Amino acid sequence: MKGHILPGLVMLAIFLLPIIVPSPYIIGVMCFIAIYGALALGKAVLMENSGIFSVAHPAWFGIGAYVTAIATIRGVPPLVSIGVAALCVACLAYIMGAPLLRLKEYYLANATFCLLIIMEIVIGNMGSLTGGHEGLMGIPPLTIGPIKFEGDRDFYFLSWGLCIGSLWFFHNLMNTRAGRALRTFMYSEVASKSMGINVSQYKLRIFVITSVMASLTGSILAFWLRFIEPAMFGIPLMIELLTMVIVGGGGILYGPILGAFTIMWLREVIQAYLARLLPVMTAEVDAVFFGIIVILTLIFMPGGIAGWVEQLMHAGRRVGERLTRP
Amino acid sequence: MDLLSQILQYAISGITAGSIYGVIGICWSVVYLMTSVLNFTTGEFVMLGGMLTWGFHAAGLGLFPASVIAVAATICISAVMERTTIRSVRYPSARTYMMLTIALGAVIKGSVLLKFGSETRKIDPIFGADVLHISGATLTPQVICVVGLLVIVTLGLSWFLNYTLFGKALRASAFNSTGARLVGIDVSKFRLFCFGLAGGLGAVTGIITAPITFTGYEIGLLTGLKGLVVAIVGNWTIPGTVAAALVLGLLEGFGAGFISPGLKDVFALTVMIIVLIVGTYRLPLWKRGT
Amino acid sequence: MSASPDHNILLKVDNLGKRFGGIHALADVAFELEKGSINSLIGPNGAGKTTFINVVTGIHAADSGEIVFQAENISGLPAHVIASKGIGRTFQLEELFAGLSVMENTLVGCHTQSSSGMLACGLSLPWARKEEKRLREIAMESLTFVGLEKRANDPISKLPLGERKLVGVARALSMNPTLLMLDEPVGGLAAHEAKKLVDLIYMLVGKGLTIFIVEHNMPFVMSLSEKVIVLDEGTKIAEGPPEQVRANQEVIRAYLGDEV
Repeated sequence: MKGHILPGLVMLAIFLLPIIVPSPYIIGVMCFIAIYGALALGKAVLMENSGIFSVAHPAWFGIGAYVTAIATIRGVPPLVSIGVAALCVACLAYIMGAPLLRLKEYYLANATFCLLIIMEIVIGNMGSLTGGHEGLMGIPPLTIGPIKFEGDRDFYFLSWGLCIGSLWFFHNLMNTRAGRALRTFMYSEVASKSMGINVSQYKLRIFVITSVMASLTGSILAFWLRFIEPAMFGIPLMIELLTMVIVGGGGILYGPILGAFTIMWLREVIQAYLARLLPVMTAEVDAVFFGIIVILTLIFMPGGIAGWVEQLMHAGRRVGERLTRP
Repeated sequence: MDLLSQILQYAISGITAGSIYGVIGICWSVVYLMTSVLNFTTGEFVMLGGMLTWGFHAAGLGLFPASVIAVAATICISAVMERTTIRSVRYPSARTYMMLTIALGAVIKGSVLLKFGSETRKIDPIFGADVLHISGATLTPQVICVVGLLVIVTLGLSWFLNYTLFGKALRASAFNSTGARLVGIDVSKFRLFCFGLAGGLGAVTGIITAPITFTGYEIGLLTGLKGLVVAIVGNWTIPGTVAAALVLGLLEGFGAGFISPGLKDVFALTVMIIVLIVGTYRLPLWKRGT
Repeated sequence: MSASPDHNILLKVDNLGKRFGGIHALADVAFELEKGSINSLIGPNGAGKTTFINVVTGIHAADSGEIVFQAENISGLPAHVIASKGIGRTFQLEELFAGLSVMENTLVGCHTQSSSGMLACGLSLPWARKEEKRLREIAMESLTFVGLEKRANDPISKLPLGERKLVGVARALSMNPTLLMLDEPVGGLAAHEAKKLVDLIYMLVGKGLTIFIVEHNMPFVMSLSEKVIVLDEGTKIAEGPPEQVRANQEVIRAYLGDEV
């Protein structure tokens, strides 16, 4: 039971936050943290747990957002659009996954990198459908029956619900048969196969599952911001997700979410102070600071923040054992 | 323009692009084979070559001295990078290096953006703007420079690696660094050399192509990525990389001409991805043939 | 060749061939394994012993010949399918999952004993949870059998070589195999550890398993096996009880060269 106290407290804190601190600014940032955290979590599951070096996550996020938006604008009920988007992404991931996942390590990273670029160009060029490079505006609000989700507070609960739900899902998965099978891929695919695990089928399945989760996250983004543009889903996002995974620690499940929390608040702090010094503060300039943070983390704290936290807790546990020994 | 000159024109632009990708691909291969690092800052070296030259030139230096200093500066940056960050990685793995160099690339890109702003810049061609005509297609001296660069680099590097003692020692260390150390080769100096070489070659490429393609803080990413693609497809060998690069360049050239300039990257990259995937099926097919 | 009734033959390989480029790793290998027997495969380095296991378990596809397991032709089937049919193996270089604990490594071996899929596991459906509990019992049984139950939660890195090899055995046992193939199981083990392995093997045969050992350690092989097969440069040069093989001229020549 002891292991459940800390996570329970954290979840309670997350739940109570908008009630205790009604600041729309803080709630807004926390929404982004939940959304990016969920994405980073999916990415870490692929990279750190299953040995799949796909950087295509922003693509599924973007396609999910766009399909949801386009469908809802054309009058499809929001819940159905979300489902349609998830289905589209699942099909795409399934069809592309089978051949792509045959590529190993950096070949896959390379190919999915190219895919991101291709997707950005294609979306940008389909102006009539997607609003082109300027983006898509006027997305109708999310209404499920009589309930209308509007405003940051509603989406705070929605996005954190998704984020924590994903965490719960992967936590269950990794401690049972199917997830354990995935975890073996990083160490020995040969031994894995010899134990009866259909490696390519499992890789494809987790690829599709994480892509659908990214799509759902994209749908939430579309309904929250009511506006999307291709720049939100490209290479800068990919680098940001990578940063969150590294800084937060990809080896532990909650690491990426911790990473998202750290990075986003760090960015807010930096922007507050440095906006005075530098007139231009685009995503690329962020990249300098966060590139440096990634480099420092990789060198000095390779397990990320979560890794460091786990080390502390482990040491604390040992001290506790020694103290309670008769 | 009749069909023949069209084809010729697209082929020329294709070979030009291919030459660029070829040299960059070689930069990737040299570093990867020697140090097992996938250096994602390779594209940024190209960008630095062009941007730094423009920067020094705009600050008052002549074009030639500016380029020399730009190349030197890039080599230094690459060397410092290797010495400080890449060597300090505690648990080296392909993944860590990949993330590290992506981060370094982002830092370089952001710094250039901060210093020089976001507009694209132009450098004047080195040999003037005279244009040659061949059966209705146009050719500038700059293009010849680019292709010439590829030829020089390819031949020079091959000669160096195969016929000089230093080059052979370099190849030996790539194969087996422990063995190389045992016979007295200073492997860490070689790593530094490779990074410096990649930096210099990248910068020179950037300078030579800047008059044709302009230069700006964001060109590093796509160009570098294409260099990586051709290095992979070419199986990290010099002839393979050059062949793959020329194919990619020609695909782009014909794609831009016959399909649409906006979608040329989509076309070329898709073909490359397909080649990568088909490559994984290659081995069993060959087996059945023998 | 002794005429044994077919239902007593667990594994039969016939005309088995495997090429890697120009090298014939296996050429025209043929023999049978009886149910409940202890068999060994020996031969000089590079003779093709590990390749043989890899081909039978489906890691590599044979170029020629056929493999019949429990009267079923398994040649060409993918490795994970062959595993589910009841062939378990250990590896020369352990191939344990370094980041997982001893218990988790053994649990991976239980994979074929259950069928809960990703969604069931992720959503923690009741029957997935029940399956997980059952798998843990099976894994604990295997670990207790090899004597490692106290090390269940330790990371692999903490274990010495002898215990790591036992984890590999426990992992293979969790598959509930009919045929257990051990690749160099006593390499690097101290005498008492090897003795323990011998005891384990006898216990397994008592439970009905058929054992197939690839080994270099002659005393171990000769004392344990009912049948010894000798491979040299990919071809079978001898087959029979240990004393017969030991006296075989070709075998001696293969190991010691022509200068005997």
